[in-house]
Amino acid sequence: MKVGYLGRRLASAFVTILLIALINFLLFRAMPGSPERILMRNTPNVTEEMKQAARVRWGLDKPVFPDQLIAYFQSTARGDLGFSFAARGAPVLDVISARIWPTIILFGLGELLAIIGGLALGAYTGWKRGGWVDQVGNGVSLVLYATPYFLLGMAFLLIFGLALRWFPTYGMLTAGAQYHSIWDRAADFGSHLVLPLVVVAIGLIGQYAIIMRSSIIETLSEEYVTTARAMGLRDSRVLRHHALPNALLPTVSLIAINLGYIVAGAITLEVVFNWPGLGTLTVEALTARDYPVLQGVFLLLCVSVVLANLAADLVYAMLDPRVRT
Amino acid sequence: MGQLVRRPEGLIGVVILTIFFVLAVVPVLFVGPLQTAVTATGSRLEAPSAAHIFGTDELGRDMLNLTVHGARISLSIGLLATFVTVALGVVVGIVAGFVGGFADSGLMRVTDFFLVIPTFVLALILTPIIQDVVGSAATEVFGIRMSLVVIIFVIGITSWSSTARIIRSQTLSLRERAFVDRARVVGSSNGHIMRRHILPNVINLIVANAVLTFAGAVLLETTLSFVGLGDPFQPSWGQLLNAAEEVGAATLGAWWYFVPPGACIVLVVFAFTLLGTALDDLLNPRRRMRR
Repeated sequence: MKVGYLGRRLASAFVTILLIALINFLLFRAMPGSPERILMRNTPNVTEEMKQAARVRWGLDKPVFPDQLIAYFQSTARGDLGFSFAARGAPVLDVISARIWPTIILFGLGELLAIIGGLALGAYTGWKRGGWVDQVGNGVSLVLYATPYFLLGMAFLLIFGLALRWFPTYGMLTAGAQYHSIWDRAADFGSHLVLPLVVVAIGLIGQYAIIMRSSIIETLSEEYVTTARAMGLRDSRVLRHHALPNALLPTVSLIAINLGYIVAGAITLEVVFNWPGLGTLTVEALTARDYPVLQGVFLLLCVSVVLANLAADLVYAMLDPRVRT
Repeated sequence: MGQLVRRPEGLIGVVILTIFFVLAVVPVLFVGPLQTAVTATGSRLEAPSAAHIFGTDELGRDMLNLTVHGARISLSIGLLATFVTVALGVVVGIVAGFVGGFADSGLMRVTDFFLVIPTFVLALILTPIIQDVVGSAATEVFGIRMSLVVIIFVIGITSWSSTARIIRSQTLSLRERAFVDRARVVGSSNGHIMRRHILPNVINLIVANAVLTFAGAVLLETTLSFVGLGDPFQPSWGQLLNAAEEVGAATLGAWWYFVPPGACIVLVVFAFTLLGTALDDLLNPRRRMRR
């Protein structure tokens, strides 16, 4: 039975990924006037030979279906995502992989902080319902939900970076700095990381707190908790050993769902702090209309979200047998 | 409406939104026409003063003027995008829920697909492509420039899926009710039942959902404009934030450049969310039964 569930989820994820790749292809090749018009966008005086040579180079002289389509799927499966316009023909895969680690570090750490902080906050407010922390927290979450990430980032930049001068405001490492040891470099990296990290964590913490809070409240009304308390177990033990594990279940799904929502915030937040990750790459590619890079990023982001959802479903199924029907 | 205003969230939401809508409908009455580089009244990046309550931007334009006109742009885009989103979502939801069978599974697969893909990423890649295809002609639709119309369209076609799901569930439960059987016995066609019987009964749900969709549309448009897809000639709040970012307002200490448009965005989205949850509480039939 478990194999059936696993199989179905895998197949569905696979089909979704195929569809995403297909859309990626269609967007660029099948829109009216493109891709030649997009390629030659700002170039005046383009002769017919130049156009033909470009067509051959980019494989545009073959018919769209099926030659270009098949070639596209083949090369994508091999990892060849085309060549960047803006980076003078560098392979898109290289361009993207150069920028991926800063993003992973920033958002991975941010997510981790948000989970720890959010679960702690949620557990506290769920346990002591109606306290002032609860009410203030609710209001603050609502306001935070209405605030775009980048706005929060700009405010933080101004207050902590400029006005108070506690942290640097630009990039990941100080430009042109000489490092005497790896610790110097790490310290510089760390000081640049703090502000964007805090913004990311603040943006995410609310959701985890809310989920944890409602899970705790629900769990507390279960009979086994009353039993445990009647047995004389201390409150904190009851919380930790009984309430917490059950409350963690929805958090798993939330992490995956969040990935889809973080992406918008990620892209814009990196721009504000000039953090050299996928976000700034996307906006640079957007401004330069570097479509191969844009498509590569689109593919990467969508596939990541699909895979994250799949992973969350499977982990959830492992943790909670009731789901595996 | 009376019930809505009696709740604190509803009241706050309505008051805030009314203020902004009035500003948006006739901005010229309050601050005069939109200032351009030529008609700018101040000098570059002045801090707030008696002459310019919100300071000026890098071209010397009064920030108050820009922000109030920005209300018109942001809210118009939000409104039109909401129309598209809700129209698509309702049609898909009702048809899928009512007709059932292959149409239902087919439509739901498409809906699920759009639900999985991050909305912003899809919008981000669709917008420049369509904008390039449409061209940079200065044609206007409803007084809105073409590049912004593209944004409206893209928001609409990327955000409809959650509305569709909600409407579909409601349609599924309505389908089992007696009045639908009675209509069928009399010989009404599917289309007629969907239009005259199902639709009026989901209106409540549509309204609550539309308000929350509006909030989402404003946020999405703001983010799209912030990354540079907006129009500098019809600056929405997001476009103003983009300009602030390009000038480096945050690092220059020019807080007046991004705080007014930013605060407006937060207030409007906050108000919509409050209103939407209050409406949902009031109108959602399932929640009513719990009380």
